[in-house]
Amino acid sequence: MVNPIPPPELDLQTPRDGGPGGSVSSHVAFRNLTVRYGTKTALDGVNLEIPRQSIFAVIGPANSGKTTLLKCINRTIDFISSARVSGEILVDGGDVYRQWNVYELRRRVGMVFPLPVGLPMSVYNNVAYAPRRAGLHNRRELDALVESCLRRAMLWDEVQDRLDLLGTRLSGGQQQRLTLARALSLRPDILCLDEFSIAIDPVTTMRIEDILRELKSRMTIVLVTNLVQQARRLADYTAFFSAGRLVEVGPTEKLFTRPEQQLTERYINGDYG
Amino acid sequence: MRDDVPNNTPPKYLLAAETAEGAVITLGSADSWEELLDLLAGQPENDGVPPMAYRLIRTAETEAAVKKKPRREYFANFRGAGGAGREDDGTESAPWWGLDHAAANLAARRFDDLPPLAVREWIRIRHKEPFTPGALERRKRIKEAVAEYVFLAMTAALVIPIVAILAYLVVKAWPALSFSFIFQNSEDSQAGGIWAPLVGTFFLVWISLIISAPIGVLAGVYLNEYARDNWFTRLINLAVVNLAGVPSIVHALFGVGAFVLAAGMGQSLLAASCTVAIMTLPVIIASTREALAAVPMAFREACWNLGATRWQTIRTLVLPNSISGILTGVILQVSRAAGETAPILFTGAALFTSFPYHLDQPFMALSMHLYAICTQLQGVSDSVQYGTAVVLIGLVLAVNGLSIGLRVYLRSRKKW
Amino acid sequence: MTDGWRLFKRAAEWLIEAVVRLCGWSAILFIFAIFFFIFHKTWPLFAEGFDLREFLTSARWQPTSTVHPCYGILALLVGTLAVTGLAMALAVPLGLGAAVYLSEFAGGKTKEILKIVIELLATVPSVVWGFIGYMVLGPIIIAVTGAPVGVNLLNGGIILALMSVPVIVSVGEDALKAVPDSYREAALALGASRWEIVYRVLFPAAKSGLLAAVLLGVGRAIGETMAVLMATGHAAQIPHSLLDPICTLTATIAAELGEAPRDGTHYRVLFLIGVVLFVITFIVNLTADLVVKGIRTEKE
Repeated sequence: MVNPIPPPELDLQTPRDGGPGGSVSSHVAFRNLTVRYGTKTALDGVNLEIPRQSIFAVIGPANSGKTTLLKCINRTIDFISSARVSGEILVDGGDVYRQWNVYELRRRVGMVFPLPVGLPMSVYNNVAYAPRRAGLHNRRELDALVESCLRRAMLWDEVQDRLDLLGTRLSGGQQQRLTLARALSLRPDILCLDEFSIAIDPVTTMRIEDILRELKSRMTIVLVTNLVQQARRLADYTAFFSAGRLVEVGPTEKLFTRPEQQLTERYINGDYG
Repeated sequence: MRDDVPNNTPPKYLLAAETAEGAVITLGSADSWEELLDLLAGQPENDGVPPMAYRLIRTAETEAAVKKKPRREYFANFRGAGGAGREDDGTESAPWWGLDHAAANLAARRFDDLPPLAVREWIRIRHKEPFTPGALERRKRIKEAVAEYVFLAMTAALVIPIVAILAYLVVKAWPALSFSFIFQNSEDSQAGGIWAPLVGTFFLVWISLIISAPIGVLAGVYLNEYARDNWFTRLINLAVVNLAGVPSIVHALFGVGAFVLAAGMGQSLLAASCTVAIMTLPVIIASTREALAAVPMAFREACWNLGATRWQTIRTLVLPNSISGILTGVILQVSRAAGETAPILFTGAALFTSFPYHLDQPFMALSMHLYAICTQLQGVSDSVQYGTAVVLIGLVLAVNGLSIGLRVYLRSRKKW
Repeated sequence: MTDGWRLFKRAAEWLIEAVVRLCGWSAILFIFAIFFFIFHKTWPLFAEGFDLREFLTSARWQPTSTVHPCYGILALLVGTLAVTGLAMALAVPLGLGAAVYLSEFAGGKTKEILKIVIELLATVPSVVWGFIGYMVLGPIIIAVTGAPVGVNLLNGGIILALMSVPVIVSVGEDALKAVPDSYREAALALGASRWEIVYRVLFPAAKSGLLAAVLLGVGRAIGETMAVLMATGHAAQIPHSLLDPICTLTATIAAELGEAPRDGTHYRVLFLIGVVLFVITFIVNLTADLVVKGIRTEKE
């Protein structure tokens, strides 16, 4: 499927000014971001702008720093005690370390990791967990929210009759979609997906991809994937990482048809390394 | 065993077979070692019952008599299925597959550059089924069985006498055990009736529980959920370990110094409860930490990802999923507190005191009562003493059994 | 949700976390408090020139003598060491043997039942053990050995051994269980029997864990009070045979604190014995902890 309107060609590496709180066209921005795990450098001087309301794919071989980049957006990187972050990460123009309240930030940035985690509570409570923590207790609103999130995650049909089932008892693929539903439950502005299709069958994957295209109008979607074709199908923009460095970034069609770097061309053609 | 070697024209070398019945049948003769091995290799394999063993014999020119014992003994599989050859030092070597293989192996042997067989000597090659234990394996197996029985005996030497002693206690206590023994008081503390000390123990346990459970559980939460891995946390861990190891009588001294005297509680139920509470704190801390650590990290990270704060995660996810383990630890504390004597000896327990109890007054406890009627008071009948001991043990074991039962039940309905 | 409510919740959470932190630090507080309150009571002794050397090296313990009270704890120390040593001599081989049996040989139901029995044994109160020593074991010892009294070193040693066994078994079994199964499988693949696995693989691999088990048993035996008070006969003398009654540090405090006049020299000396006990068990537990830490870093 080809996007009907080709995205505008933006310079996604040079920082655009807007300043904190000002109107900026980029939703997430990384300025000279460097992340080290102990002595190992995972990301090295990354400058990148992620435009609003687009699907932004990050591709690259293993150990290229894709997941680390994603973890920086909502500061999940803090859970890794050996990680040292330097540089700036701006969400809506605000520095995630200096200007954002970390809990507020995580509510605004939904995150789906490749390993599915169903929380040890009912399916309903899994999805309602985060809204409740944010202060939503109205039963009717919660019911509607849970249903819409489960529908978007393509899980509603399978669990609508047993919403009281333990989240940990679902199959791997179902848990993965439950994780997606949970991430959507706070109506985030940014949705980060790390290899979301790893435990899901191809048909469901396609349907979720359709949903993501639909969600694009409401949120910015950052997609880390190993499936080069998935990036090509879905993304408006694609960034290619290798060994912790940003090699190339641009509109997906351009990156896939006229890559500027030889490394990129070799990777998308499958004869990397 | 009889050697059926004919002695009319004595040959130099003989090949003989041993049958299952013990007879030795000569199969052929040869003039040289090599010829003898060819003869061995040429024997038919695997038709009908194979012989038990082959003998390679060298006789004198004049007489066929040979020594009683073979010079060497080897193992091979006569059906060619792969047995085990045997080195001279007794270790099993690469298997000899059939008679061809055996003959080839023997031919390759130099026998220390001596002639392969001296006069009147012989070699036996025994049939061995593949994958059957050899002498070494049999020895190993015997050793293993001996080891198992020795360890079993050691375990039995621990468990049996103790169980026997406990049974003996029950038998001796039987005459005294009755409804009135447990639920009534006697005026002159001689004839039994342990209701007052039983109630005292009950109060002691509950008050110490009220003090130590919140502190202990929250300390466990801190250590497992908040504490980073730094020198301060290590210091706390060290303190917990040492708090668990401080002798109970030292706790009693602390109770006297801190609660009875410094805090002005005097010898009272409250002072004793505080002392016991601090003593049982490490049990609760350790079991709480264990229960919390059993909740996988991935669940916490999933919650943090959704913007839940640390405390929200603990309250809504970690505690509900570890409450059973925490409860087990708390019950363990109860059983320990019920049996302690030393820490209440000088902080509030009395030999005899009026009923009912007050927080600021001394009280009677079952453990203290047992110590008193056993060593301090004269003329208490044996069965009353045994009865008190049995009730105390029964109380502690019942509480403990409850904790074990709870653990087993909750393990059966694990949520992940 | 109003801002005020949100602020309140944030404050409540901050408060809860502060309480949790405080509870977490309480263990350190209590350890210091214990040391302080006990040491505090002994302080006047040093002000009035108490002879610490005599305290540690003299075997004469006559605190109630009106003519010339002596406060030498050597006999008590020797008593503690003797009864602990005897208990360990009995409990360590049996306890470790039982740990090996439980971890390597026993299976299924037997293992479950034995573990529960041993766990239950650990909770039998010490006063009951003292009672057993006094009422059951004492007469047996008199009948078998013809000793004049049944409560003596041997009695205390046996009772303490039975008491320390559950600790040794459960910690020892944990140590053996901590040896990765891949070690066992590798040894089995090389044709080792189970005995050879125990002897050549598990003992070397788990030796520090087993040492920790023994040390924890020692710690428990040294600190035990009620059982030794009732089972050892309470005579402050250096024992010459297994059948001599003895006295330990813990039992002395338990037996004499009630009768010593408050804030007299005798009273303070008993607190000083408490300090000695505190220091001894602190060292034993610290060593056990370091040994366990050693295993952990080795594993990593």
